[in-house]
Amino acid sequence: MQYLALIYGEEARWANLSPEQRESEMSEYMALSQATVTRGGNELDSTATATTVRVRGDETLVTDGPFAELKESLGGYYVFECDSIEEACTWAAKIPAARHGSIEVRPVYVDGGETS
Amino acid sequence: MKYAALLTNNADAVAAWERMTPEEAAAARALEVPKWEALFNELGPTGALGSGFELDSPNTAKTVRVRDGETIVTDGPFAETKEQIGGLMEIEAEDLDAAITIAAQIPVAFTASVELRPVIEH
Repeated sequence: MQYLALIYGEEARWANLSPEQRESEMSEYMALSQATVTRGGNELDSTATATTVRVRGDETLVTDGPFAELKESLGGYYVFECDSIEEACTWAAKIPAARHGSIEVRPVYVDGGETS
Repeated sequence: MKYAALLTNNADAVAAWERMTPEEAAAARALEVPKWEALFNELGPTGALGSGFELDSPNTAKTVRVRDGETIVTDGPFAETKEQIGGLMEIEAEDLDAAITIAAQIPVAFTASVELRPVIEH
């Protein structure tokens, strides 16, 4: 089964870290990118670069900013291949942002509920 | 440029899905599938669409935090918002305007929203 680990944290925090702290956390992220369970993932640019698109009737409405303003915002995600959500949660706990923010673990939808 | 498109659903619609019987959900899903097939048929050959993930309902989510060395796992999504992430899709587009044109063709844009975020390439 595949799980997405959505990484939420306070954006301002990173700017306040020392170069050593950043390097240390970045190496943890890089190590997780190479982990056996990891199938993908992306780091997202800041919410200041977000654009939200809605279509109502024939009109395309484009607004600057994320779809929801949150204290902790989505900064990236990993795709994990695990046997259970519990196993995915143990990997999520290794993500540095779990120590100051929140990781939301979501099963990828499988039609008919079959495992793949 | 690579963008991540966060696909959202309205919380009300998500709640309605969760109240459906499996048969009702299958019927409702059958109505949605052709819209997505049309999108993939049109944009697939252009190479604009990268990996995509449809997520299971937010009530299947777990939220993980580590505080003082202890892992705390709670049931449910991280935040209760009016629109909730239901999927994620990578989009390859020349610029933001081109990405917006693609986002405006994704079925959830008509009922909820698509948030575009540039991906930081490492």
